Amino acid sequence: MVLAELQDVHFTYAYADTPALKGVTLTLEQGMLHGIVGLNSSGKTTLCGLLRGIVPSFHHGELTGRTTILGRELADWNPDELATTIGCVFDNPFTQISGIRDTVFEEIAFGLENLGVAREDIITRVIQVIEQLGIEALAEKNPNELSGGQRQKVAFASIIAMDSDVIVIDEPTSQLDPEASEAVFEIIAGLKKLGKSIVLVEHKIDLVAEYADTVTVLHEGRVALTGTTREVLTDPRLRSFGVTPPQVTELAERLAASGRPLSRVPVTRAEAVELIGERMREEVGGGYRTA
Amino acid sequence: MTVTSLQEVADGYRQPRSLGNPILDLNPITTLCVIVALIVTGIALGGWVPSLAVCLLFMVAAVVAGRGRTYLPLILKLWLGVGLILFLLRALLTPGHVLIPLGRIAVTTEGIEQGLAFACVVMAICGGVTLFFEFVPMRHLTLALERLGVSPQASYVLLASFQAITDLGATAKVVLEAQTARGVETEGNVFMRVRAFFPVLAPVFLSAMAATEERAIALDARAFNSSTRHTSLVELRRTRRWEPVLAVALGVIAVGVIVGRALGWF
Repeated sequence: MVLAELQDVHFTYAYADTPALKGVTLTLEQGMLHGIVGLNSSGKTTLCGLLRGIVPSFHHGELTGRTTILGRELADWNPDELATTIGCVFDNPFTQISGIRDTVFEEIAFGLENLGVAREDIITRVIQVIEQLGIEALAEKNPNELSGGQRQKVAFASIIAMDSDVIVIDEPTSQLDPEASEAVFEIIAGLKKLGKSIVLVEHKIDLVAEYADTVTVLHEGRVALTGTTREVLTDPRLRSFGVTPPQVTELAERLAASGRPLSRVPVTRAEAVELIGERMREEVGGGYRTA
Repeated sequence: MTVTSLQEVADGYRQPRSLGNPILDLNPITTLCVIVALIVTGIALGGWVPSLAVCLLFMVAAVVAGRGRTYLPLILKLWLGVGLILFLLRALLTPGHVLIPLGRIAVTTEGIEQGLAFACVVMAICGGVTLFFEFVPMRHLTLALERLGVSPQASYVLLASFQAITDLGATAKVVLEAQTARGVETEGNVFMRVRAFFPVLAPVFLSAMAATEERAIALDARAFNSSTRHTSLVELRRTRRWEPVLAVALGVIAVGVIVGRALGWF
């Protein structure tokens, strides 16, 4: 089943002069991790808002074109129903917690309380999510006193607890240090293993390369490139849209430019390790050559 | 934390919430009614003695409830910072029989009486409000209100307003520290501090307003606007039968005192 289908979608925020999305046509399949990349103001967050239904029900503006979410027209979705069907996590860890719960346990339970889940079921589900994310040490802490990375984990836990099949994640690591970023991506990888459909906006292209199944590049509100992660991240036009390829891809490009290309262009670290290992074995076997 | 202790945390939510003291475990609405009734009775009886007695009663209640260590220093500061000033202003500025002349002003007998009465009334109110928030966690109050039919949205506004005070304070501190790092004088005498503080207000409130939109979306993502009847992880203790009786009895006494005073019975 198709997660989302956009056909010639244009959106202009109320009070804005220029459209944030200009003729976006895009199909996102279910059960995959879709990476969305692009420069600032390229329309990534607006696209997330559209998939979540925040655009145009919360952020008003002029929306044209056809948007279908899980086989139903966006306009036919009840906003409450869409909110529970598609979970979302944002970039700012400080505004994602409710601010009114005394412990992380209660914070994670908040969404389930709002859905009218019975107390015992809430407790079972919260324990399950806390164990799944390995945040047992935070259970009794006050969410308002956590670090940014810890809050982001709690935000994920809160959304996971609600068991949405689709999760839209907008720059989850933009305010986090490398260690916390890795931890967040481990959570995202765990969600992918569970078969969740994920739409991920992220600037850290190396991490997108590691985890995404497809990548879409947005540029000035338009879809500049879209396809499998490999197709997009090895596309020679990528830089012209302000997106730098992964480090390992750049390395392969430089080797190719120096006349010693790898057998194929890697986009993930694992691929690079494999290809460079292969090259080293060849060179050791055949004697070192100079470029 | 081990799995066992996570289970212990979870088990805590399986039981009705107890603060470990019969006074603290009163239903928040009972506590509110009792405190309001005592304040009203104290004020309606007139003079400074009843209001002072109410203040003392609040202090005793705090000690018995095991909150004396936090309540007493706070109320002492209020007495010194608010009560004393109110008393002095009345004692020095009310005309009447002069006890101690101090140039153009004087301490008068009437001033002392009025000062004592006014300070004790204000302190009874301050003491009651402080005691209420010492005894009742905001979350318990909103749960009790929701049990009475108040909407989760209204209780959220109440809880978030109190949390906003803490958040604004934290943001102001961050902005002040940033100003200090840029070489702006933020330390020194009162005037220096005030001069440094006022420019901070605009960024603090603007950032709070910007965060409101994101928080609204975050709440929406947690199905806060769901029309389903919300449940609650935290459960308040069952209200004991005598609690409404106590609240109503004290309320009747308070109304009786007001009526009695109005009719000149005492």
